[in-house]
Amino acid sequence: MTGRWRDLAWAGAGLLVLLLVPLFGAPPAIRDFIMFGMAYGLLAMSLNLLIGYSGLVSFGHAMFFASGAYAFGLAMQSGKFSIPAAFALAIVFTAVLALIVGAICVRLNEIYFAFLTLAFQMLFYNVILGWVSFTGGDQGLMGGIPRPKFLGIDLADRTQLYIFCSVAFIVCIAILRQLVTSPFGYTLRLIRDNQERAAFLGVNVPLVKLTCFVISACVAAVGGILLTLFVSGAYPNFGFWTTSGEAIFMILLGGSNVFLGPLVGTVILRLLNDITVTYTSHTELVLGIVILILVLGLRKGPLDLIAERLENRRQAAAQAVRDAADAGANGTGKGGS
Amino acid sequence: MSSIDSRRTGRRQLLKGAGALATAGIIGTPAIVKGQSGAIKIGVPTILSGRVAVLGQTSVGGLKVVFDKVNEAGGINGRKIELVVRDSKGAPQEAAKVTRDLINNDGCQIIIDAEASSGAFAVQEVIREIGVLCIHSNSETSSLTADPKLHVPTAFRTARQGIHDAIGGGDYAAKVAKAKGLKKWATCSPDYAYGRSNTAEFMEYAKHFDGNIQVVEESWPKLFQPDYTEVVTKVLNAKADAMYSALWGGDLVAFIDQANLYGLFDKQASFMVNLGDYGVVDQVKQFPQGVYSGGRYNRTVPPTKENEEWYQNYVKTQKHKPTNWSWENDVAAQMVVEALKKTNGDTNGKKLAEVIKGMTIKTQFGVGGSVTMRAEDNTLVNYIIGYGLSLSKEPFIADFQTSPWEPIYELEKQWKKKQGYA
Repeated sequence: MTGRWRDLAWAGAGLLVLLLVPLFGAPPAIRDFIMFGMAYGLLAMSLNLLIGYSGLVSFGHAMFFASGAYAFGLAMQSGKFSIPAAFALAIVFTAVLALIVGAICVRLNEIYFAFLTLAFQMLFYNVILGWVSFTGGDQGLMGGIPRPKFLGIDLADRTQLYIFCSVAFIVCIAILRQLVTSPFGYTLRLIRDNQERAAFLGVNVPLVKLTCFVISACVAAVGGILLTLFVSGAYPNFGFWTTSGEAIFMILLGGSNVFLGPLVGTVILRLLNDITVTYTSHTELVLGIVILILVLGLRKGPLDLIAERLENRRQAAAQAVRDAADAGANGTGKGGS
Repeated sequence: MSSIDSRRTGRRQLLKGAGALATAGIIGTPAIVKGQSGAIKIGVPTILSGRVAVLGQTSVGGLKVVFDKVNEAGGINGRKIELVVRDSKGAPQEAAKVTRDLINNDGCQIIIDAEASSGAFAVQEVIREIGVLCIHSNSETSSLTADPKLHVPTAFRTARQGIHDAIGGGDYAAKVAKAKGLKKWATCSPDYAYGRSNTAEFMEYAKHFDGNIQVVEESWPKLFQPDYTEVVTKVLNAKADAMYSALWGGDLVAFIDQANLYGLFDKQASFMVNLGDYGVVDQVKQFPQGVYSGGRYNRTVPPTKENEEWYQNYVKTQKHKPTNWSWENDVAAQMVVEALKKTNGDTNGKKLAEVIKGMTIKTQFGVGGSVTMRAEDNTLVNYIIGYGLSLSKEPFIADFQTSPWEPIYELEKQWKKKQGYA
C-alpha cells in the first residue's frame, strides 16, 4: 500500500471511529467535547502547518478562525445562503483575507512576521468590536445561527451536526496530511531549514510561503465554522490574541514535529480545562504548571518524545543488526583465515 | 447547606466517563448523564476568574443565601437544592459549552445564568435548543429580552435592564440639571457595546427631560485600560458643567483614583451609574463625596429592617459584602423556589416557565416590597432604580431618590417601537 492510500485508510478509520461514538450511545457531553475539540484541533493543526512545517511563527492565526466563523454566521443570518454555500463563502472570504495579509507578511522573517500577523489580528479584532451594526460588537452574533436543511441533512439535530463536523474535520486533516507528505510539504521543510538554499535551488520562496499561509488560514476557517455551528454564535474573542496563544499552547503540549501532535495537544488542553474547571477556578494556574513541566521537564511535546524514542529504538535495532552482521562477517573472516 | 461543585460527584463522573470513553475507544471529557437524583440540581455558569471574578463570587453568594435557607427548612417537597457552579472565564463559547455540560453532564435541571452579557447571549442559544428553565441574573443588555427575535420561552431575566436605568437616570439627571443649570455635559464610558449603548440611552433621556442639555465631549477609554490620565485631562479640558460615566468594576476604581489626583469631582457635577456598589466602594482609595451615584446595591436602599437583616446575613454567611449582582441573583433564586413550590418540584422547563411568567414575589429589592416577572417579555420590573449622592464614609450614599416606574413603562414602550421590538 502506498503512503497516500495508507493515509487515506487511516483517515477512513478515524472517521469510522468518530461516527461510532453516537452509535455506542456516548452521552451528549462526550459528543460536545469531541466537536469542541475538532474545531480547536483544526485551528492548532493548521497553525502547525505554518510553525512546524514552514518555520513561520504566526501570532495572529485566530484571525482566520474568527473570519471563518463570522463570514459563515453572517451569511447564515442573512437568510440568503444554504449551509454549503455559506461554508464555501466563508472559506473563500478567509482565503482572500489571508492572501492580502500573507502577501504583506510572508516576506518577513521570525519576529517581524510574528508581530505583523499579531498586528493584523488585532486590527481584525477591533473591526469586529467596532462595527457593532454588522458584527454585534462585543456581544457577538446574537440570535443564533439558522441551520436550514440541505440535501436532507438537518444540522439542528445534534447527532447529524456531530456527523457533519466529523466529516469536515477528517477531510481537513486528510488534506493537511496529503499536503505535508507531498513535494510541496517537503519544500516547506526545506524553506524552514534553509531558506537561502531553497531559493538557490529555484524555489519561489515567497510564493510557497504564501500558498501555505492561505491553505492554513482556510483550514482554520473551517475550525471557526464548526465552532460557530456548535455554539450557534460567533464572538470577538474567537479572533483575540489569546485564542492564537491557546493554539500555540496546543502545539507545545502535543508536539510540533509529529503530524498529529497539535491534535493531541488540543485534547490534552481541553481535558485539562474541563477537569480543572470542575474542581477549581484557577484553571490557568493548573495549565501554566502543566506547560512548565512539559517545557522544562520533557522539553518537547509528548508525541515528539514518543516519536524520538521510537526512532532511537529503531536506529539502535538497525545498529544492532549491522553490528551483528559485522561481527558475523568478521567471524567468518576470522574463521576463514 | 446547598452544596457547591461537589468534588465527589466530579470524581464519579471521571470514572464513569473513563468507562464510556473506553467503550467508544476514544479520548473524551469526564462525562456521563446522571440519573435523576433526589436533589434538584441548578447549574450556574459564571465568571470566577480574572478581573471580574467578583461578579461570580457575589452572584453565587446571592444564590446561596436563598437556597441554604430553603434547604435548612427541608428543601422542596423534601428534595434539597444543589448548586453546581462552573467558571466560563468570561468566554462566550466556554459559557455555551459549560452550560451544555451542566445540563448533559452534571444533570442540572435548571440554569441560573450568572454570566456577563456576551456569555448570556451564548447561554440563551443553548437554552433555545435544550429548553430547560433559565434565568439570566446578571446581563443588563436590554435586547436580551426586549428583542422578540431573541425570545426563548423558557428564558427569563432578573437582572436590571439598561433601558430602565437610562430612563430613570435620565429623569433624575434632568431634574438636577434644571435645578443647577447643568447644560454642557461630557461623557466618559468604556469603549464597547454596553458603555456606548448605556451612555447614548442615558443622554437621550436626560435630553428628553431637559432640552437644554447638550453633550460637548465624549471619551471612550478602552475596556481594562490601566491609565486614565489622558481621559481625565480630556474631560477637564471640555470645561463641561457635568459628566456622565458608565465605567464599572476595576476600570471605575482606576478612573476614580486617577481622577482624584486632578480634583475632577470638585470641578463639575458627576453622574456615575455604577459607583455606589460595595465592589467599588471597598476598592477605591478615596471614595469621592458628592457624586451622583446610580443605585446598585446599598444596605440603606431601601432603608428597611429587612434590607439591613439581609445585608448582615449575607456578610455573615458569605464572608464578603454583597453587590448589585447579589440581589439580582437573590431574586432569581427566590423565583426559582416559588416556581418549584408551585409545580411541586417538577423541573420541566415549560411548566416552570408557565408559573414564572407574570410572577410577583415579595422582596425588599422591589418598589413597595415586590418585583414582577413581566409576562410580555420575560423580564423583571418594579425593582428599585434611582440615584443618590455619594458619601466618603458609611453608608456611602445619601438622599437616594427612587425613580417612579410609570414614566419608565411609558418611555420603554416608545423605545421598543423605535427599536422595532414592538
